Amino acid sequence: MGHTKHNPTVRALFNDDDVVLGAVKDLRSNGYEVSEVYSPFPIHGLDEAMGLKRTRLSTAAFFYGLTGLFFASWLTYYTMNLDWPQNIGGKPNSMWFLNMPSFVPVMFELTVFFAAHLMCWSYFAVNGLYPGAKAQNPDPRTTDDHFLMEVELEGDEDALNKKLKELGALEISKIEA
Amino acid sequence: MTENNKYWRGIEDQSNPELAEKLAQNEFSNEISQADFLGKDELAEGETSRRDFLKFMGFSTAAATLAACEAPIVESIPYVVKPDSLTPGVPNYYASVSYDGFDFASVLVKTREGRPIKIEPNNDAPFNGATNARVQASVLSLYDGARMQSPMVDGVAASWGDAMAAARALKTENSVLVSGSVISPALKKAISKLGLRHVSVDAVSQSARADVYENLTGRRGLPTVSLDKATTVVAVGADLLGDWGGENLMGAYAAARKPGEGMLRHIQVEAGLSLSGSNADARIKAKVSEYETVLAHIYNKVAAATGADKIAAPAVREEIASSVNNAAMELIQAGSGALLLNGLNSATAEKLAAKTNELLASEAFNTTTLEYTSTGSDSAFNALLADVKAGAVDTIITLDSNVLYFSAELAALADKVNLVSIADRADETASKAKVALPLSHYLEAWADAIPVDGVYAVGQPTISPLFDSKSAVEIVNGLAGGSESAIELIKASASTTGNAKAWNALLHDGFASTPVLVANYNVAPSVDLSDIKVGTAVEGIEFYTYTKAGMGAGSNANNPWVYELPDPISRLSWDNYLVMSAADAVALGVENYAQSNGAMNGNTVNITVNGETLENVAVWIQPGQTQGSVGLAVGFGRESVGKVGNGVGVNANALLATTATYASAEIIATEVEHGFASVQLAHTMMGRKIVNEISLPTFLHGNAAEWNETPTFETHKGPLSAFEANLWDDHDHETSHMWNMSIDLNSCTGCGACVVACSLENNVPVVGKDEVRRHRDMHWLRIDRYYSSEMTEAVAEEEGIGAIEKYAKMEVPSESPSVVFQPVMCQHCNHAPCETVCPVGATVHSREGLNHMAYNRCIGTRYCANNCPYKVRRFNWFNYKGNEKFADVNPSQDDYGRMVLNPDVTVRARGVIEKCSLCIQRIQLGKLEAKKDGRILTDGEFTTACAQACGSGAIVFGDVNNPSSEVSHLKQEARAYHLLEEVGTQPSIFYQTKVRNRA
Amino acid sequence: MHYESPVRNPLILGDKSYSDITNDIAKPVESKAPRAWWIAFSIAFIMFLWGVGCILYTIGTGIGVWGLNKTVDWAWDITNFVWWVGIGHAGTLISAVLLLFRQKWRMAINRSAEAMTIFSVIQAGLFPLIHMGRIWMAYWVMPIPNQYGSLWVNFNSPLLWDVFAISTYLTVSTVFWYVGLIPDFAMIRDRAINPVQKHIYKLLSFGWGGKAKHWQRFEEVSLVLAGLATPLVLSVHTIVSFDFATSVIPGWHTTIFPPYFVAGAIFSGFAMVQTLLLIVRKIFKMEDYINIEHIEMMNIVIMVTGSIVGVAYITELFIAWYSGVEYEQYAFLNRATGPYFWAYWAMMTCNVFSPQFMWFKKLRTNLIFTFVISIVVNIGMWFERFVIIVTSIHRDYLPSSWSMFSPTFVDIGIYIGTIGFFFVLFLLYARTFPVIAQAELKTILKSSGENFKKHHDEHGAH
Repeated sequence: MGHTKHNPTVRALFNDDDVVLGAVKDLRSNGYEVSEVYSPFPIHGLDEAMGLKRTRLSTAAFFYGLTGLFFASWLTYYTMNLDWPQNIGGKPNSMWFLNMPSFVPVMFELTVFFAAHLMCWSYFAVNGLYPGAKAQNPDPRTTDDHFLMEVELEGDEDALNKKLKELGALEISKIEA
Repeated sequence: MTENNKYWRGIEDQSNPELAEKLAQNEFSNEISQADFLGKDELAEGETSRRDFLKFMGFSTAAATLAACEAPIVESIPYVVKPDSLTPGVPNYYASVSYDGFDFASVLVKTREGRPIKIEPNNDAPFNGATNARVQASVLSLYDGARMQSPMVDGVAASWGDAMAAARALKTENSVLVSGSVISPALKKAISKLGLRHVSVDAVSQSARADVYENLTGRRGLPTVSLDKATTVVAVGADLLGDWGGENLMGAYAAARKPGEGMLRHIQVEAGLSLSGSNADARIKAKVSEYETVLAHIYNKVAAATGADKIAAPAVREEIASSVNNAAMELIQAGSGALLLNGLNSATAEKLAAKTNELLASEAFNTTTLEYTSTGSDSAFNALLADVKAGAVDTIITLDSNVLYFSAELAALADKVNLVSIADRADETASKAKVALPLSHYLEAWADAIPVDGVYAVGQPTISPLFDSKSAVEIVNGLAGGSESAIELIKASASTTGNAKAWNALLHDGFASTPVLVANYNVAPSVDLSDIKVGTAVEGIEFYTYTKAGMGAGSNANNPWVYELPDPISRLSWDNYLVMSAADAVALGVENYAQSNGAMNGNTVNITVNGETLENVAVWIQPGQTQGSVGLAVGFGRESVGKVGNGVGVNANALLATTATYASAEIIATEVEHGFASVQLAHTMMGRKIVNEISLPTFLHGNAAEWNETPTFETHKGPLSAFEANLWDDHDHETSHMWNMSIDLNSCTGCGACVVACSLENNVPVVGKDEVRRHRDMHWLRIDRYYSSEMTEAVAEEEGIGAIEKYAKMEVPSESPSVVFQPVMCQHCNHAPCETVCPVGATVHSREGLNHMAYNRCIGTRYCANNCPYKVRRFNWFNYKGNEKFADVNPSQDDYGRMVLNPDVTVRARGVIEKCSLCIQRIQLGKLEAKKDGRILTDGEFTTACAQACGSGAIVFGDVNNPSSEVSHLKQEARAYHLLEEVGTQPSIFYQTKVRNRA
Repeated sequence: MHYESPVRNPLILGDKSYSDITNDIAKPVESKAPRAWWIAFSIAFIMFLWGVGCILYTIGTGIGVWGLNKTVDWAWDITNFVWWVGIGHAGTLISAVLLLFRQKWRMAINRSAEAMTIFSVIQAGLFPLIHMGRIWMAYWVMPIPNQYGSLWVNFNSPLLWDVFAISTYLTVSTVFWYVGLIPDFAMIRDRAINPVQKHIYKLLSFGWGGKAKHWQRFEEVSLVLAGLATPLVLSVHTIVSFDFATSVIPGWHTTIFPPYFVAGAIFSGFAMVQTLLLIVRKIFKMEDYINIEHIEMMNIVIMVTGSIVGVAYITELFIAWYSGVEYEQYAFLNRATGPYFWAYWAMMTCNVFSPQFMWFKKLRTNLIFTFVISIVVNIGMWFERFVIIVTSIHRDYLPSSWSMFSPTFVDIGIYIGTIGFFFVLFLLYARTFPVIAQAELKTILKSSGENFKKHHDEHGAH
């Protein structure tokens, strides 16, 4: 994230979510590019403040669900009505829709199954989460009670540092790109 | 190929010279033995060419490959020289006769690959062409490993030569031959040739009755009856559907009881509830010791009406006096249609009955044509006992008579004589014999019989003896010094009976008509009642013995099927027990009660009859049992009959003198608890419409729509029946076949023949007492028995009794219940609840209306069994054919027993559900035969095992899409209804309403 | 940021900071196991082993070693199955439904509740498997192409619906649970000193770093999963109830079953959560996070669902009478007055009567009493399933087939075994997983933390 530009990044460590949120808003209003914030828990409003687009995972889930529904419909139709229709307790086996009421539970379950699982896999994929991946947060304290902000350094470094101090940063460090 | 005798035991070891000589006459021996064939020089010397080598290579490779994808290879020996009459997979049928001293039946024996696997009725036979439960089961007794495998001398196996020599050595002029009734002319001839005093005594004696007719006609036999000529039958202690005489009356009874004008009216007077009593229209509870007075009372009424002179007799107990009067009145009204039957082994009783029929000129009571299946003589036996006591007898030769078992008196004297026993096993008698000669099973032996005047029947072997045994006639003839083979003796005998048929025709049919060569035949003799003395009833409690539908006299006492078959009345299997009235039980403080798992338990008693005591006899409280009268079934309590029968129940014969029928008894309750194997826990219908029963007047004059109302459902189309009210369009049931079955509850007598037949045909596992106790019996077909209760919906209505109390009281059977039987098997529902719930589709519906069960697909969730309203599905709780728990009882765990399995039906694996298939193997075979001949299936061409075994024709199976089929007509009957029709399962089985001939 | 009304009691007690929460929740994982844990674990493990033995015996010998017979083909097996599934439901409901309703009090308990769900559904899943006569053919319930060609499963069968429902439910609740666990694993990872531990939690935490975008997706996914899990959890017990409702057996064939079963499931589930949390908060000293507030909330749910169940029972009776079907009428009369009346009245007492005590604040805020009731309710719910299954089929249409059932030591052993198995899993979880969703909890510290509320009440809004 944000490492496409060949600018160095300034990291500022905070210890309060409200302060970080304020800081982000302030910096962005002053034209700074806040490239990332690492926090131990979700901070409400942070994504808007950082100008992140809303995720499309839920939309994906909807289509995954549809896939499941269609699969279930096909499966029941193929096995019960097409491949080998049998007289089971006198129930209709010629037309799928006549037999369908018996299939509703399975259709529902498969819809949920597809939606939930495929969405989670997508979630892991886009976040680059997988068993044994190396920790993405540069500072271990950010899973406890600290908040780390990464700002693109453009122009005057001291001014930025001063700004960050004012905004309540505890530590400030600079990483060359 | 190895020479392995494991399966084909008929091929004896060729190296045995004595056998080789014997085989010369044995029609079953093969011209060339395997050994000879394989030893052929050509084979040995002929050098193998390259081509041959390649052929063998190719074959063995192919064989190996095939074998690889086969299920485990089962050892089996192909024919070296195939008997030309025999095609593997195609059954052969042989006409034969089955007679064990108690049951006589003309049968067809179904053999597969030379093994008899099923007994079927010989419907063409003029006498007893029907099979009961015992005859059906008898085929398994052939494959009984407990049978004597070779002659024994002093308990050591010996050759026939030595054994016969030893037997002859013991034979003196003071020797006596003891046998049961002998109906075989050939055997009679051999016996007379033997020239010894011959005492014939039956385990279940009719002697006193036979005496009457011997005095009258000079022929020792019992009267026959033609129920078709009767309009009213009063049976006093005569279980005409059970052990009354040797004549099988099931069919005649059912025919005479067909609902309609002139339906036979049946009144039963008896102590214990019998099959006849259960089927009767009216039942009078009388002690056995009261039978004579009851008969005398009826006789006097009839005498009064017909102007004959009365006899002096004690008065009838007033509780039953009026009903006995009514019975007498009905007989008088019936006139020549009247029939009075006596079942008591007493000359007085029999004379009274015979005389009454004579006075009424009964056309149904036939004293000219006699039947001879039980002609033993008690007096002769008593004389023998006296002589043995006096030491006037050196040797007793028993011929197929386990006399030491059923005669406690002789058993006590056994050491005073030398015993030579001709028996099928080392039973209670043969095990004590100096010389024991193995007797062949009737399926292995030649035999002939004159069971009834005018009928001659022959029995032929259907398999060569499994063990080193011989037929009765051959052995006796041998003892008499003869050397003819059995077939020669029978042929000779056949030629002398003056029967019309040539030998082959005779063998094919199994019977022939033969003239009765006696004077005064066809002259109905007159009974003389002078010097008749009517006995008085026993004060206090009387004890009597009776026979069970399964066990009979006990000749199949090591046969698991007769034990597993629940008693039709008590619904208990694997037991005999003292049947007792509730009143007596209360007085004694004994009870029957269910365990938490549904198993029935009961208290036991010590019963003492003239000094003899039986300890810890289980008591079963039997509705309909006469107060002051307790009964115990014979045939049980065996000591050396085999692993199945040993120690099951108690020996009732120990209490009574061999020739006695009843005696007064002392009973005291004990602390010991007894576990019953009860298959039915609730005995009443709880006011539900399960067995439809109506009275004859209702049937004749009532409106069928009322007495056989079809349940309907309110729909937007108006009220619809369960068959019309339908969520979907039904599947096509019109094209091709639609198998249906009609079960006439009016004809069904509950005898249980169908249950045994079903077990045989379908390899139904035997599970033994403990599992039956846990309600895990595996029968595909069961006969539910319901008693009426004093509490009914109507009673509750008028007495304003609440639901809780009502149902509680409904569970209690009446003390004098009317009894109904209902055979229930898979109903093959066209909207089957079991099919929809199977997750893997292991049970689905066929085009022909059958509910299929694919054992291989079943994973055993048992959901189908839960969802079956009829509870006909059975689950394989264990591996019955492997689990050692069933080693003693399950035929399929026995080397010999396995041979009875029907090769057309799978033996089910552990963990799968099984159920009635309507004998699909027979349906398929029938369809194939028709297809091969390129013709349409004709109705009645084949039928299910149960329908075939049903002596009363209650079960009719067929194709309802064939408008001319019997079953399609029956479906239109006013009496037809479906069980639990309102559930909407649309069964393929339907029942015919029971009609009782009473107001 | 939003402040919560002072009327509401704080959900986090004591003077807590973010790092306090971190420490408190990481403590059980990092510290040595308390003695109580070892005792509890060994007992559970022995029970578990006994169960394994009984299961092996059953599979080796046949279902005949159970107390079933030709009439009662299901008894303890399916009773336990339904009971365990029911218990499972509370977890999903707490985390999913309460999340949808933004109930903050859920945060302290949802993690353990979900764990309970998964572990009990595992127990539940065991029974449909081992109750099969031929368990080695169990895979046949899957619609997989096979060597027999066109041989498929029967989609008309409620048992097959179960297969899909239970497997979906188990897997979906597992991912739901795990997605929430990842940030907390990361927290432990970042604190871990012991390299082995660090490595394990590195594996488990999938490299989570708490980036803003990831948190955004995290919340979205949690919300959608909650949205999916809610109908799912309702569907699962509905489908389980179909096993009976779609049959023809009087006492089973009842249209009220779906809602009735779901209510019962929530009822028993909350009771089980109650039981477990009361133990956990004691053993791991989490009184500050799982406090009276939570307990009372759950007691109210128990009371309400208990009453719903009661209404269902009475409706059943009414309909049986009103239907005029003699079989139905007898079935219910037989339940209350027949040979199994004791089971019926045990059910009534435990499920309908006992929760009514919760109307009194004094009682529903009393820990001991709550604990007792939570146990009683679970006993009652077991009896409910026993009553439905056994007393319905032991006397159905044809009196000739009426029978009884009594369990063998194997039936009992397997049941006890699953209880052992459940606690083995739960105790292991409690020692190695963050038992409280600390990341979520931190989001409400300022709004619902005691100290913050106090401070806010004193100085008014800034």
